[in-house]
Amino acid sequence: MSPAQASGWVGELARQHLDAAYNLGRWLLGNEHDAADAVHDAYLRAERAAQTYAGGNARSWWLAIVRNCCLARLSTRKRETHLHSVDGPATTHGLTSEVEERVHAAQCNTLLAGHLRALPVEFRETLVLREIEDLSYREISDVLGVPIGTVMSRLARGRALLQKSLGASPAQEIGHGM
Amino acid sequence: MECKNAQNMLEAYLDGELDRDAARALEAHVDACAACREALSGLDELRRALRAGGLRHIAPAALRERIALAAAAQRPPHRRAPGSTWLRYAAACLLAFGAGGVSVHMWNSAQGADSALSHDIFAGHWRALAAATPVDVVSSDRHTVKPWFAGKLAQAPLVQDFAEQGFALVGGRLDYLGAERVAVLVYRHGQHLVDVFVLPAAANLAAASEQQGYRLQPVRLGNQPAAIVSDMDAQEFSRFVTLLGNAR
Repeated sequence: MSPAQASGWVGELARQHLDAAYNLGRWLLGNEHDAADAVHDAYLRAERAAQTYAGGNARSWWLAIVRNCCLARLSTRKRETHLHSVDGPATTHGLTSEVEERVHAAQCNTLLAGHLRALPVEFRETLVLREIEDLSYREISDVLGVPIGTVMSRLARGRALLQKSLGASPAQEIGHGM
Repeated sequence: MECKNAQNMLEAYLDGELDRDAARALEAHVDACAACREALSGLDELRRALRAGGLRHIAPAALRERIALAAAAQRPPHRRAPGSTWLRYAAACLLAFGAGGVSVHMWNSAQGADSALSHDIFAGHWRALAAATPVDVVSSDRHTVKPWFAGKLAQAPLVQDFAEQGFALVGGRLDYLGAERVAVLVYRHGQHLVDVFVLPAAANLAAASEQQGYRLQPVRLGNQPAAIVSDMDAQEFSRFVTLLGNAR
C-alpha cells in the first residue's frame, strides 16, 4: 500500500471509531485528559504502523493500538505516583474534567459505574469491549492479544465479580433507567 | 445436557457465540432447569444494566478536532498532487479518446478495489494458517456448518463436503474483509488448507492472482460470489474450482 493511501485510511478509521477509542481510554485511564492524549498518541502510532497492517479487522487493530497507548500511560503514571507518594496521591484530573465527571456520574448508573471502575483492569477492559462496545469474542481476543478461551474466562470472572459487588450494595439501584 | 455444562455455556449463549445446535440444546435444558434459568436471567439483568446507557463515554469535540488536525498534517500537499495530475490526465484521455477513454478509466479504478479485496483475502488466509485453529466451528457435517453461519450472517452460504473427491470439509469461520463480516468455508486437501471466502453480493473480484506461492481464484458458489485461496498446485486447484462451481 502506498503512503498516500495509508494516511487516508488510518485517519478515516480513527474518525469512525473515535468514540470506541475514547471510551476504552476513559475506562482504562479514568479521566478525560489522559484518555484524549492516549487516543491522540494512538492515532500517530497507527499512522506510523499503517504500512505493516496485514489486513483483517481494522477496528480491532485500531483499538489494540489505543489500548497499548493507554497501558503505557498507566505504567508511567504508576511510576510517578510512586515517586510522589510522599505528597499524597497524584491528581491528574483537571478542574473541568472533575466537574464533567460529576455531571456524567449523575447521568448514569453511578453504582454500577463505580463497581465497574473498581474491577481489576483485565476484567474491566474485557467487559467494556464486550458490553459497551459490543465486540465479538474473536475481536476482543485480537484487541487484547489473548486466546478466545482467556476472553471467555475473563468475561465470566468479571461478570461474577460485578454481580457479587452489586449484590452486596442496595439492590434497588440496579436497573435504574432501564 | 448436564447442568454443569449448561452453566458454562450460558454466557457464550447470551453473547451470541454458540452455534445454532448448541444454542438449541442449551435452550432445551434451560426450559427444564430452574437454576439455569435463574442464572441466565441474572446475567441478562447485568447486561441490560451495563447497556442501559450512560456508561459509554463519547469523544469530546476537542479530541475530534485534534485528530482531524493531525490527520490533515499527515497529508502533505505533494502526496495529493500526483492524484490530481492523474485525474487531469484521465480527463484529457476522456476528451481525446471519448468512450474508449471512459472504459480505460473504469478498468483502472476497478483494479484498485480488486487488489484491496484480494489483499484482505490473502491476509485472512495467512492469519488463519498462523492461528491455533483455522476454524471457529469444527465439523465435517455440512448440516452443522450451514446453521452455524445462519445464526451469524444475513445469508448462510452453500455448504457441501467433497471428502469423496479428496477435499474434506473441516469447518467454517467468520472473517473480515474491510469492515464486512464474511463466511469462510475451510477444506483440507492432503497437507493443504483450502479457504473459500464467500463474498458480499456486491463484491466484484474479477481476476485470479498469486502472492507468495498462494493462489486466489474467484468462483461462483450457488448464487454468491466467492474466492478460493490455497497453496495447492494448479491442477488440483482447477479440480476444486470445478467441484465448487458445480455445487448445488
